[in-house]
Amino acid sequence: MTDSINDLLPEGLQDRLPPLAGQAAHIARAMLDNMDSHGYDRVHPPLIEFEQSLAGRMDGVQPRQMFRFVDPRSLRMLALRSDMTVQIGRIAATGLADAPRPLRLCYAGPVARMTGDQLDPSRENMQLGAELIGSDTVAAAAEMVCLAIDALKAAGATGISVDFTLPDLVDTLAREALPLAPEQVDAVRRELDAKDAGGLRDAGGEAYVPLLYATGPFDEAIEKLAAIDAGGTLATRITALRQIAAQAAGKARLTLDPSERHGFEYQSWFGFTLYADGVRGVMGRGGTYHIKGKEEPATGFSLYPEQLADAQGLSADIRPKLFLPIGHDRDVAAALRAEGWRTLAALDAGDDAAKLGCTHRLDGTVPAPL
Amino acid sequence: MTKPLTFAVPKGRILDEALPVMARAGVVPESGFHDKSNRSLSFATEKSDMRIIRVRAFDVATFVAFGAAQAGIVGSDVIEEFNYSELYAPVDLDIGHCRLSVAEPVEGAGAEPVANASHLRIATKYPNITSRWFERKGIQAECVKLNGAMELAPTLGLAGRIVDLVSTGRTLEQNGLVEKDRIMPISARLIVNRAALKTDQRVADLVDAFRAIANKAAA
Repeated sequence: MTDSINDLLPEGLQDRLPPLAGQAAHIARAMLDNMDSHGYDRVHPPLIEFEQSLAGRMDGVQPRQMFRFVDPRSLRMLALRSDMTVQIGRIAATGLADAPRPLRLCYAGPVARMTGDQLDPSRENMQLGAELIGSDTVAAAAEMVCLAIDALKAAGATGISVDFTLPDLVDTLAREALPLAPEQVDAVRRELDAKDAGGLRDAGGEAYVPLLYATGPFDEAIEKLAAIDAGGTLATRITALRQIAAQAAGKARLTLDPSERHGFEYQSWFGFTLYADGVRGVMGRGGTYHIKGKEEPATGFSLYPEQLADAQGLSADIRPKLFLPIGHDRDVAAALRAEGWRTLAALDAGDDAAKLGCTHRLDGTVPAPL
Repeated sequence: MTKPLTFAVPKGRILDEALPVMARAGVVPESGFHDKSNRSLSFATEKSDMRIIRVRAFDVATFVAFGAAQAGIVGSDVIEEFNYSELYAPVDLDIGHCRLSVAEPVEGAGAEPVANASHLRIATKYPNITSRWFERKGIQAECVKLNGAMELAPTLGLAGRIVDLVSTGRTLEQNGLVEKDRIMPISARLIVNRAALKTDQRVADLVDAFRAIANKAAA
């Protein structure tokens, strides 16, 4: 019996049902296997940690957005993780502090946040990612971009598009090349985020307006960025971006948006956003960052496999299912499973193969289509 | 086949001024769009891969933010009110000018002075902008969300002040109100969905077309 009040799930939370749950698991497995094949070792941090260890490892992490409660044992504040990257940072700075660098790690698990918003109301999400710890060089960034594309392709994503950005661009330029008063920096950043040329002028960021135009397909946009490079401050960044793009060329559509900052709260000089066909909004994000405490550079990315499952939808689950009638040959069935068949054995004579979603029926020793 | 682009335009104030600008950018709706008796909400354009939807101004931002429409035109008041992270407002179209202001009854009748208040009740269509603006002044603004005819609120005792769009100030005057503080100037913007801009070249081309027109008009 259902009780419509007590069985209600809180806002932003949902059950994943077949076949989407299976599809999401399949996608996550394909991505993790791909990372594994590139030499990334799996780690599995806990769901709950002390709030301070989650908040202190990187800049820009918002403990206000985490579910928090007091630990009855230690009487300290605990929090449910909202981003696994900080946990990988902690592992790299503690348990694996002495492991040889660069350290390649991958992970997958649920993350939660206190509130969703109108655009994305979900409060629980599956996060999956890889981190390369000990390096934030061009080579490291290029490896991570290529790995992310490869993992997405392994999971069946199509029409992959990668958008490059320079997350600390405003800070770098504001220091010398295009000086801003400290109280102006936030307003300029905000208008750059909204790509609002009018607002940017009003906020005193006139000099930053050309950055809005240096966006679009990578080859054209990087030329524009090079043309407006104020006093050569960005020369090394531009060269680095070109080198990364050269390695990723041909694998995905590449675009550049140097002033994009959304979702790059703790990234340093380089960031990238991943898009794929049919996925509403962002498929994943990555970039270079700094692990506090051990003062170590790192590069990594996170993907959200459930987004891809939603995009691929039901069409993905057309795997054949074989009905095994009562009294079937168990050895034959085992052999077929070893071949890759998915079987479903009858429990009693009344079971209807078609109703149970089977596509084939075992007829003696051969599967016959229903 | 590629999916058609959807371009969202607001009913009312901005639309008349926006149509000529859109036409110069090559966005021209079918004739049924101008027919007042036509109840359709979605219209074809002269381009085969684009359609226009006509919705309320606040919904233009929501459609585009969700990616249900890839681009649209809306006032900066709406953009600021929602503050959607998925919205870009790359082109100021320099049309639909007005301002968002605080207004109160003439000669301060019934309204306590802002300078001493820590809490005010305000009738507005823009609760987010209003509470943010008053927060910066150290005032907790209790917003009563109305969808129109804000000007009635002070006289009927619903709220001491209102925050609303002002263009000439005539409506305020006729209802015994006077404009006090200007919160922000408003003009219409071209808005686009972030993901659409980055993954669909047609959206970037649309931005370029509108930007060229805006630059030409400014020169």
